Amino acid sequence: MKPPRTLITEIVVIIAVAAAIGLAWNRQMLVESWTGKVQRSSPTVATTTDRLPLPLGVMQVKELFDRGEGYFLDARDAATFAGGHIRGARSLPLGEFETRLPEFRKQVPKTMPLIIYCNGYGCHDSMDLGKKLIQAGYWEIFIFEGGYPEWKEAGYPVEGTKP
Amino acid sequence: MERGGLPGGRDQTVTEAPRKYLKLALRIVLGGIFLYAGMLKIADPATFAGSVAAYKLLPTFGNYLVAATLPWVEVFCGVLLIIGIRTRPAATLILLMNLVFAVALSSAIIRGLDIDCGCFRQGGPKTSPWIALLRDLAFIAGTVVLLWLDTCRTEPPAA
Repeated sequence: MKPPRTLITEIVVIIAVAAAIGLAWNRQMLVESWTGKVQRSSPTVATTTDRLPLPLGVMQVKELFDRGEGYFLDARDAATFAGGHIRGARSLPLGEFETRLPEFRKQVPKTMPLIIYCNGYGCHDSMDLGKKLIQAGYWEIFIFEGGYPEWKEAGYPVEGTKP
Repeated sequence: MERGGLPGGRDQTVTEAPRKYLKLALRIVLGGIFLYAGMLKIADPATFAGSVAAYKLLPTFGNYLVAATLPWVEVFCGVLLIIGIRTRPAATLILLMNLVFAVALSSAIIRGLDIDCGCFRQGGPKTSPWIALLRDLAFIAGTVVLLWLDTCRTEPPAA
């Protein structure tokens, strides 16, 4: 029977050789992660291939609103939008997505977080629009599921309402 | 090993052959599993780093460091087990790795993390930590048996 010391030495040698090859093989990835460049393709979320829009509650949305973060996007049709919407929101009706996408792309960078809403929980236009925008290459898509009704109900800032 | 039972000892002729084949089978199966697992991770180290990060046990760079090196240790151990060179250190290392995995998986279960174990193919459908832990325990059992068989072979027969 071999003494345990030999066993430990052999284990250390195996680890050292394997780790050395691994470090050399992945040197680029390691350098990038060390310098913090790898964040974008960072795999902290294992769902890069089938990302879905992230639902947010009214409190979280209000926080983003107060901090002036994100781009509020109204998925309802133009007439409904004109009748009142979250203050500062822009209109991108789901039905006009294809025709208006080129213009939208010019105005809004892909890294911009988008907060999409429509007419509340029964309305799926915001989710559908979010999915289309992900396909169009937009990175951060949030859905405000409560939508305009919940926002208005809470007494948060709106604009375009008729007096 | 000479044939025939030693006086007062166990009958070597009965136990020797099955022992040999069991050892060979365990070596090939465990070695194959680890070779396969390691190669899948080497193919996609960045995603594996993400799987490691999901355990929330290491700092960011630590996740990448593990992702860069651990799969190679798995592959090395797998190959050594299959070809039957340095079986003992390779099996011991596999045992140690499996123990670490078991601890990591248990901690994920305790903390209620809903994550993919990241054991084999990276990305794709999730393997629940419970299934991964059970599988891991089976590997541990196999490795222990393999090491035990190995030790018995090299020990001098009882006088």
